[in-house]
Amino acid sequence: MPVAAAGLIWLALLGPVIALVTHLSWSAVLSALEAPGALDPLVVSVTSGAVTLAVLLLLGTPLAWMLARGALPFPRVWEAGVLCSLLLPPLVIGLLLIFMVGPFTPIGELLGTLHLSATNTFLALVIAEVYESAPYYVLGAQAAFSEVDPRLEQQAELLGDRPRRVFRRVTLPLAAPGLAMALAVAWARAMGAFGAVVIIAYHPFGIPLQIWTSLQETGLASALPFALVLLVVALPLPLAAYTWSARARGRRRG
Amino acid sequence: MLEADVEVDRREFTVRAALSVAPGERLALFGPSGAGKTTLLEAIAGLVRPTRGCVTLTDRVLTSTEPPRVTLPPWQRRVGLLRQDPGLFPHLSVRQNLSYAPGTDPAGDELTQLADALGIGELLAAMPARLSGGQAHRVALGRLLLAHCDALLLDEPYTGLDSSLRRVLTELVAGLVAARSVPAVLVAHELSDAQAFADRLAILDAGCLLQAGAPDQVVLRPASRRVAELVGYLGFVPVRPGPGDGMVAAAGSQIVAGIHPERVRPGSHPGLGLVLAGTVTASRPAGAGWEADLQVAGVVLTCRLPDRPAAVGSTAVVTALQPPSFGPDGAALEGPAATAGPRQVRA
Repeated sequence: MPVAAAGLIWLALLGPVIALVTHLSWSAVLSALEAPGALDPLVVSVTSGAVTLAVLLLLGTPLAWMLARGALPFPRVWEAGVLCSLLLPPLVIGLLLIFMVGPFTPIGELLGTLHLSATNTFLALVIAEVYESAPYYVLGAQAAFSEVDPRLEQQAELLGDRPRRVFRRVTLPLAAPGLAMALAVAWARAMGAFGAVVIIAYHPFGIPLQIWTSLQETGLASALPFALVLLVVALPLPLAAYTWSARARGRRRG
Repeated sequence: MLEADVEVDRREFTVRAALSVAPGERLALFGPSGAGKTTLLEAIAGLVRPTRGCVTLTDRVLTSTEPPRVTLPPWQRRVGLLRQDPGLFPHLSVRQNLSYAPGTDPAGDELTQLADALGIGELLAAMPARLSGGQAHRVALGRLLLAHCDALLLDEPYTGLDSSLRRVLTELVAGLVAARSVPAVLVAHELSDAQAFADRLAILDAGCLLQAGAPDQVVLRPASRRVAELVGYLGFVPVRPGPGDGMVAAAGSQIVAGIHPERVRPGSHPGLGLVLAGTVTASRPAGAGWEADLQVAGVVLTCRLPDRPAAVGSTAVVTALQPPSFGPDGAALEGPAATAGPRQVRA
C-alpha cells in the first residue's frame, strides 16, 4: 500500500514533464525557436538569473551562516523576515514592490537620481527574482551550515586557523553540497519567477513571460516550445548540483 | 608550565579551580558528570570566557581578567584539545588531517615518522569515515602533536573504546607527553582511566577542587567523605576508638570509617585495619571473585572477596584495610584536611 501511494504521487509529480514531452511537436519547437528574436527571452532569463544568484551568494550567505550559528539577536525575527517573501503570494510581492521601489517612492526617486528605475527594467526583473528565490537559498544555506559541527570549527581554530581561514577550509567545504543544492533550487525559482515579475518587470521579457504572452496571443501549442526551453535551461544546474552533492557526500564516506 | 586560576559561571554553579601542571607532567581531573571538568578545560583552551582569573602557559598570558586584560583567541594559544569525538575533518584524508595545522608539511618526514609511531602509517590516504574508533583517536592525537601544541588537554578521549585500546592509547599519550615535555591535563569520569594516566589526580565536584595529590594517596587517604564517595567508597560504618590505636564499629557514632569494596579482606586481621562482623544480605559473582553486601552497625557495606561468601543470613567477618575515618562535618580525621572553602585546594 505505501509503495502504491509513493508510486502514485511520484507519477503525479512527474506527470507535467511527461505531458510536455508527449505533446511537443519537434517541428513546432524548431520553427518557434527560429523565429526572429525568439531566443532573446532566454538571454534575459539567464543573465537576470545569474545576477540574482550573485546577489544571493553575496548577501544571503552571511545571513544564512549567522542564522545557523545563532549569531544574530532575536533569531526568530530574522527568520520571519526570510519566510515573509516565501509565504507571501508572488503576485502580492509584485504589488507591494511597486509601493516599495516604484518611481514615486523614496527608493524609486533615489534610483531616479542615479538614472535607474525599478519598474519594467532589467533591475526590476532582478529585484523580483531575488524576492522570489531568496528564501529558498537562505533557508537551504542555513540548513547546510547547521549541518557543520561547530566543534570541528573549534578544533580548526585550536589548530591555529583564524576564523576566516576556518570558514574557507572547514565550514565552506563541509557545507558545500547543501549550499550547491540551495543555490540550484534558487536558480530554478529565479528562472521560473512569474508572479512578482509580471507586475513589476513586464519588460524586459524573460522566458516565463514569453510563455504567458504566447499562450495569451496564439494559444497553448505555441507556448509549449518555450516551456521546453525553460525546463532545459532551469533544470541542468539543479541536476548537476544534486549529482555533485551526492558524489561529495560519497567521497566523505570513503 | 601551565597555570590556571579561573572562575567560570555556569547555570547551576560557578566553577572555581586553580591548577599548575609542569612540563611533561600529567594531571587527571576526576569527578562526576557535570562537575565542571570540561568547562575548566574549555576555559584553558579559550573556548569559554572566565568571569575572573588568569591562565598562563610557559611565559605567555593566555587569559587575564585583571588589567591589562588579555584574552588570546584559541588560534593563538597553541593549546591542543582532544575530545571524546576525535573531531577529524570528514572531507580531508588522514594525511590532510594530520597536516592541517598551518606550517605542517604534508609530505614531511615528521608526519611520516609520527604516523608510523602511532600505527597509522598505512592509513594516510584513507578518509576518516573508514577509520575505527581507535585509529581515529590516533589520527586526532597525531594532528595535535604535529601542531606542536604547548599543552595537551584531553577531555574523556577514550570513552566508548574498549579497555585494551584505552590502555594502549593511554601509554602512548603518556610516552609522548614525556618525550615532548608538554603539560597534559586529562578529564576522566572513570577513576581507572585517571589513575592509569596521571602523575597527579585532582578531584572536582560541583565546580570545586576538593583534593589533589598522588593518585594512590587521593584514593587511600581521601580528604573528605565526599571525595571518598567519588573515588569508590561504598559504605560508611559508624566507629569509635577501640583498644590501642584501632577502632571498632559502634552504631550511632558520629565518626564513620569509609569502606572501599576492594580494600577488604575476609577474616579477622586486627593488625591490618578495622575488623567488622556483619550479616550477609546478598552476594553475587563479580569479575574473578565475589561481591557481598554485609549489614554492619546498621549500615550496608559492599565488599569484594576472592571466594564465595557465607550464605545469605549468616554472619561473616571481614577486615577493612586501614580505612579512612571522617568526623561529623565530613572532614577526614587524619591525612590531608578537607576543604573548608572552594579556593583552598590547588591542583
